Amino acid sequence: MLMCRDLARIASDYIDGELGPMDRVSVKMHLLMCGHCRTFIGNLRASVDLMRMHSSQKVDEELIEKIDEQVAESLRLKD
Amino acid sequence: METATHQTDEELLIQGLKSGKEADFQRAVRLYTPGMMAVARFYLDNASAEETVQDCWVTVINAIHKFEARSGLKTWLHRIVANRAKNHLRKNKREVSADFSETLDPELADRFAPNGRWATPPSLKYNDSAEALMENSALSDCLDRHLSHLPETQRSALMLYEAHQHKSDDVCNILDISASNLRVLLHRARQKIFLMVETFQETGEC
Repeated sequence: MLMCRDLARIASDYIDGELGPMDRVSVKMHLLMCGHCRTFIGNLRASVDLMRMHSSQKVDEELIEKIDEQVAESLRLKD
Repeated sequence: METATHQTDEELLIQGLKSGKEADFQRAVRLYTPGMMAVARFYLDNASAEETVQDCWVTVINAIHKFEARSGLKTWLHRIVANRAKNHLRKNKREVSADFSETLDPELADRFAPNGRWATPPSLKYNDSAEALMENSALSDCLDRHLSHLPETQRSALMLYEAHQHKSDDVCNILDISASNLRVLLHRARQKIFLMVETFQETGEC
Protein backbone atom coordinates (compact mmCIF):
# COMPACT_ATOMS: atom_id res chain seq x y z
CA MET A 1 0.00 0.00 0.00
CA LEU A 2 1.16 3.49 -0.81
CA MET A 3 2.20 5.41 2.31
CA CYS A 4 2.36 9.18 2.73
CA ARG A 5 6.15 9.18 2.37
CA ASP A 6 5.91 7.21 -0.90
CA LEU A 7 3.42 9.73 -2.19
CA ALA A 8 5.72 12.62 -1.25
CA ARG A 9 8.47 10.96 -3.29
CA ILE A 10 6.42 10.83 -6.49
CA ALA A 11 4.32 13.96 -5.96
CA SER A 12 5.94 15.95 -8.77
CA ASP A 13 5.48 13.10 -11.22
CA TYR A 14 1.82 13.00 -10.22
CA ILE A 15 1.40 16.76 -10.67
CA ASP A 16 3.10 16.69 -14.08
CA GLY A 17 1.12 13.66 -15.27
CA GLU A 18 4.29 11.59 -15.55
CA LEU A 19 3.09 8.59 -13.52
CA GLY A 20 2.07 5.30 -15.06
CA PRO A 21 -1.62 4.35 -14.81
CA MET A 22 -1.19 1.99 -11.84
CA ASP A 23 0.74 4.49 -9.74
CA ARG A 24 -1.71 7.18 -10.68
CA VAL A 25 -4.62 5.13 -9.38
CA SER A 26 -2.70 4.36 -6.15
CA VAL A 27 -2.08 8.06 -5.57
CA LYS A 28 -5.71 8.92 -6.24
CA MET A 29 -6.91 6.22 -3.83
CA HIS A 30 -4.52 7.48 -1.17
CA LEU A 31 -5.64 11.07 -1.67
CA LEU A 32 -9.26 10.06 -1.17
CA MET A 33 -8.39 8.77 2.28
CA CYS A 34 -5.67 11.16 3.43
CA GLY A 35 -6.34 14.82 4.11
CA HIS A 36 -2.72 15.58 4.96
CA CYS A 37 -1.56 14.39 1.57
CA ARG A 38 -4.36 16.31 -0.15
CA THR A 39 -3.06 19.44 1.56
CA PHE A 40 0.50 18.51 0.65
CA ILE A 41 -0.28 18.02 -3.04
CA GLY A 42 -2.38 21.20 -3.11
CA ASN A 43 0.38 23.24 -1.51
CA LEU A 44 3.10 21.71 -3.68
CA ARG A 45 1.02 22.54 -6.74
CA ALA A 46 0.58 26.13 -5.49
CA SER A 47 4.35 26.36 -4.99
CA VAL A 48 4.93 25.15 -8.55
CA ASP A 49 2.46 27.75 -9.89
CA LEU A 50 4.24 30.37 -7.86
CA MET A 51 7.56 29.36 -9.37
CA ARG A 52 6.12 29.52 -12.86
CA MET A 53 4.83 33.02 -12.31
CA HIS A 54 7.90 34.23 -10.56
CA SER A 55 10.08 35.02 -13.49
CA SER A 56 12.93 35.66 -11.16
CA GLN A 57 15.60 35.08 -13.72
CA LYS A 58 16.70 38.58 -13.00
CA VAL A 59 20.02 39.12 -14.60
CA ASP A 60 22.48 41.74 -13.57
CA GLU A 61 21.78 44.90 -15.58
CA GLU A 62 25.55 45.38 -15.79
CA LEU A 63 25.90 42.09 -17.64
CA ILE A 64 23.19 43.10 -20.12
CA GLU A 65 24.96 46.41 -20.77
CA LYS A 66 28.31 44.68 -21.20
CA ILE A 67 26.78 42.32 -23.76
CA ASP A 68 25.13 45.27 -25.57
CA GLU A 69 28.51 46.98 -25.87
CA GLN A 70 30.28 43.86 -27.08
CA VAL A 71 27.55 43.11 -29.60
CA ALA A 72 27.63 46.68 -30.89
CA GLU A 73 31.38 46.54 -31.29
CA SER A 74 31.31 43.17 -33.05
CA LEU A 75 28.59 44.41 -35.40
CA ARG A 76 30.72 47.43 -36.28
CA LEU A 77 33.75 45.24 -36.96
CA LYS A 78 31.66 43.01 -39.16
CA ASP A 79 30.54 45.89 -41.39
CA MET B 1 9.62 35.79 -18.74
CA GLU B 2 10.05 35.36 -22.43
CA THR B 3 7.25 36.71 -24.50
CA ALA B 4 8.05 35.72 -28.06
CA THR B 5 4.91 33.63 -28.19
CA HIS B 6 3.73 34.88 -31.56
CA GLN B 7 5.68 33.11 -34.17
CA THR B 8 5.70 36.22 -36.29
CA ASP B 9 7.35 38.13 -33.44
CA GLU B 10 10.15 35.61 -33.29
CA GLU B 11 10.46 35.51 -37.07
CA LEU B 12 10.75 39.28 -37.21
CA LEU B 13 13.36 39.22 -34.51
CA ILE B 14 15.35 36.55 -36.34
CA GLN B 15 15.20 38.59 -39.54
CA GLY B 16 16.52 41.59 -37.66
CA LEU B 17 19.34 39.55 -36.14
CA LYS B 18 20.26 38.11 -39.52
CA SER B 19 20.52 41.60 -41.00
CA GLY B 20 22.64 42.71 -38.05
CA LYS B 21 20.26 45.27 -36.56
CA GLU B 22 21.63 46.47 -33.25
CA ALA B 23 18.18 47.23 -31.80
CA ASP B 24 17.05 43.68 -32.44
CA PHE B 25 20.17 42.33 -30.78
CA GLN B 26 19.39 44.47 -27.76
CA ARG B 27 15.87 43.08 -27.66
CA ALA B 28 17.10 39.50 -28.01
CA VAL B 29 19.77 40.00 -25.34
CA ARG B 30 17.10 41.09 -22.85
CA LEU B 31 14.75 38.32 -23.82
CA TYR B 32 17.13 35.38 -23.85
CA THR B 33 20.05 36.17 -21.54
CA PRO B 34 18.22 35.06 -18.35
CA GLY B 35 17.59 31.58 -19.78
CA MET B 36 21.12 31.38 -21.17
CA MET B 37 22.48 32.22 -17.73
CA ALA B 38 20.33 29.45 -16.23
CA VAL B 39 21.91 26.98 -18.64
CA ALA B 40 25.46 28.22 -18.05
CA ARG B 41 25.02 28.18 -14.28
CA PHE B 42 24.20 24.48 -14.43
CA TYR B 43 27.85 23.90 -15.30
CA LEU B 44 29.82 26.93 -14.19
CA ASP B 45 30.34 29.42 -11.39
CA ASN B 46 28.73 32.81 -11.86
CA ALA B 47 31.77 34.62 -13.25
CA SER B 48 32.57 31.92 -15.82
CA ALA B 49 28.88 31.66 -16.71
CA GLU B 50 28.67 35.40 -17.42
CA GLU B 51 31.81 35.20 -19.54
CA THR B 52 30.45 32.23 -21.47
CA VAL B 53 27.11 33.91 -22.16
CA GLN B 54 28.87 37.07 -23.37
CA ASP B 55 31.03 35.01 -25.74
CA CYS B 56 27.96 33.23 -27.01
CA TRP B 57 26.29 36.47 -28.05
CA VAL B 58 29.34 37.42 -30.07
CA THR B 59 29.27 33.97 -31.66
CA VAL B 60 25.58 34.42 -32.45
CA ILE B 61 26.35 37.50 -34.59
CA ASN B 62 28.31 35.32 -37.00
CA ALA B 63 26.28 32.14 -36.61
CA ILE B 64 22.73 33.48 -36.86
CA HIS B 65 22.67 33.17 -40.66
CA LYS B 66 23.05 29.42 -40.16
CA PHE B 67 20.02 29.28 -37.87
CA GLU B 68 17.16 27.36 -39.44
CA ALA B 69 13.99 27.80 -37.46
CA ARG B 70 13.66 24.06 -36.82
CA SER B 71 14.23 24.24 -33.10
CA GLY B 72 13.13 27.72 -32.06
CA LEU B 73 15.55 30.50 -31.29
CA LYS B 74 15.48 29.93 -27.53
CA THR B 75 16.43 26.26 -27.79
CA TRP B 76 19.12 27.04 -30.36
CA LEU B 77 20.68 29.68 -28.09
CA HIS B 78 20.47 27.42 -25.06
CA ARG B 79 22.24 24.62 -26.94
CA ILE B 80 25.06 26.97 -27.94
CA VAL B 81 25.51 27.99 -24.31
CA ALA B 82 25.41 24.39 -23.08
CA ASN B 83 28.10 23.33 -25.57
CA ARG B 84 30.31 26.25 -24.68
CA ALA B 85 29.88 25.64 -20.96
CA LYS B 86 30.70 21.95 -21.35
CA ASN B 87 33.87 22.82 -23.27
CA HIS B 88 34.83 25.24 -20.55
CA LEU B 89 34.33 22.48 -17.97
CA ARG B 90 36.45 20.05 -19.96
CA LYS B 91 39.27 22.56 -20.21
CA ASN B 92 39.18 23.13 -16.48
CA LYS B 93 38.67 19.43 -15.77
CA ARG B 94 35.76 20.03 -13.48
CA GLU B 95 32.77 17.80 -13.20
CA VAL B 96 29.17 18.59 -12.49
CA SER B 97 28.14 16.81 -9.37
CA ALA B 98 24.53 16.38 -8.53
CA ASP B 99 22.85 13.98 -6.18
CA PHE B 100 20.27 12.00 -8.10
CA SER B 101 19.97 9.22 -5.56
CA GLU B 102 17.37 10.55 -3.16
CA THR B 103 14.10 12.04 -4.32
CA LEU B 104 13.00 13.36 -0.92
CA ASP B 105 14.44 16.55 0.49
CA PRO B 106 16.05 15.68 3.88
CA GLU B 107 13.99 18.31 5.67
CA LEU B 108 10.77 16.89 4.27
CA ALA B 109 11.92 13.30 4.86
CA ASP B 110 12.25 14.11 8.58
CA ARG B 111 8.56 14.89 8.76
CA PHE B 112 7.51 11.28 8.27
CA ALA B 113 7.18 8.67 11.00
CA PRO B 114 9.00 5.33 10.61
CA ASN B 115 5.73 3.78 9.41
CA GLY B 116 5.69 6.16 6.45
CA ARG B 117 2.84 8.37 7.64
CA TRP B 118 3.08 12.08 8.29
CA ALA B 119 4.54 12.90 11.71
CA THR B 120 4.51 16.63 11.01
CA PRO B 121 1.90 17.11 8.31
CA PRO B 122 1.51 20.31 6.33
CA SER B 123 -0.47 22.40 8.77
CA LEU B 124 -1.83 25.07 6.56
CA LYS B 125 -3.69 24.95 3.33
CA TYR B 126 -2.97 27.90 1.11
CA ASN B 127 -6.23 29.43 0.10
CA ASP B 128 -4.68 32.12 -2.02
CA SER B 129 -4.07 31.64 -5.67
CA ALA B 130 -0.52 31.95 -6.94
CA GLU B 131 -1.46 35.38 -8.35
CA ALA B 132 -2.53 36.60 -4.91
CA LEU B 133 0.58 35.11 -3.29
CA MET B 134 2.82 36.85 -5.80
CA GLU B 135 1.42 40.24 -4.86
CA ASN B 136 3.21 39.86 -1.58
CA SER B 137 6.56 41.43 -2.34
CA ALA B 138 8.16 39.98 0.81
CA LEU B 139 7.28 36.50 -0.44
CA SER B 140 8.67 37.34 -3.83
CA ASP B 141 11.96 38.50 -2.26
CA CYS B 142 12.04 35.37 -0.15
CA LEU B 143 11.56 33.24 -3.24
CA ASP B 144 14.50 35.02 -4.88
CA ARG B 145 16.67 34.35 -1.89
CA HIS B 146 15.80 30.67 -1.75
CA LEU B 147 16.24 30.23 -5.48
CA SER B 148 19.71 31.66 -5.25
CA HIS B 149 20.54 29.13 -2.53
CA LEU B 150 19.38 26.09 -4.48
CA PRO B 151 22.15 23.84 -5.81
CA GLU B 152 22.97 25.03 -9.34
CA THR B 153 21.82 21.83 -10.95
CA GLN B 154 18.39 22.01 -9.30
CA ARG B 155 17.97 25.68 -10.03
CA SER B 156 18.86 25.37 -13.70
CA ALA B 157 16.48 22.44 -14.18
CA LEU B 158 13.71 24.32 -12.41
CA MET B 159 14.30 27.52 -14.37
CA LEU B 160 14.41 25.87 -17.76
CA TYR B 161 11.38 23.71 -17.07
CA GLU B 162 9.13 26.11 -15.15
CA ALA B 163 10.17 29.63 -15.99
CA HIS B 164 11.37 29.10 -19.55
CA GLN B 165 8.82 26.39 -20.24
CA HIS B 166 11.09 24.06 -22.11
CA LYS B 167 9.75 20.57 -22.65
CA SER B 168 11.39 17.79 -20.62
CA ASP B 169 13.17 16.44 -23.71
CA ASP B 170 14.69 19.83 -24.43
CA VAL B 171 15.89 20.30 -20.85
CA CYS B 172 17.47 16.83 -20.84
CA ASN B 173 19.13 17.58 -24.15
CA ILE B 174 20.45 20.98 -23.15
CA LEU B 175 21.69 19.89 -19.74
CA ASP B 176 22.79 16.43 -20.88
CA ILE B 177 20.92 14.55 -18.18
CA SER B 178 18.55 11.60 -18.29
CA ALA B 179 14.80 12.01 -17.98
CA SER B 180 14.77 10.31 -14.59
CA ASN B 181 17.54 12.56 -13.29
CA LEU B 182 15.61 15.61 -14.46
CA ARG B 183 12.60 14.36 -12.49
CA VAL B 184 14.76 14.11 -9.36
CA LEU B 185 16.23 17.59 -9.78
CA LEU B 186 12.81 19.11 -10.38
CA HIS B 187 11.20 17.38 -7.44
CA ARG B 188 14.04 18.29 -5.09
CA ALA B 189 13.86 21.94 -6.11
CA ARG B 190 10.08 22.07 -5.81
CA GLN B 191 10.19 20.61 -2.31
CA LYS B 192 12.56 23.38 -1.27
CA ILE B 193 10.17 25.97 -2.64
CA PHE B 194 7.25 24.19 -0.95
CA LEU B 195 9.06 24.27 2.41
CA MET B 196 9.95 27.91 1.96
CA VAL B 197 6.40 28.97 1.13
CA GLU B 198 5.09 26.93 4.06
CA THR B 199 7.46 28.61 6.53
CA PHE B 200 6.61 31.98 5.08
CA GLN B 201 2.87 31.41 5.30
CA GLU B 202 3.11 30.18 8.88
CA THR B 203 5.56 32.66 10.34
CA GLY B 204 5.65 35.54 7.88
CA GLU B 205 9.40 35.11 7.87
CA CYS B 206 11.71 34.03 5.14
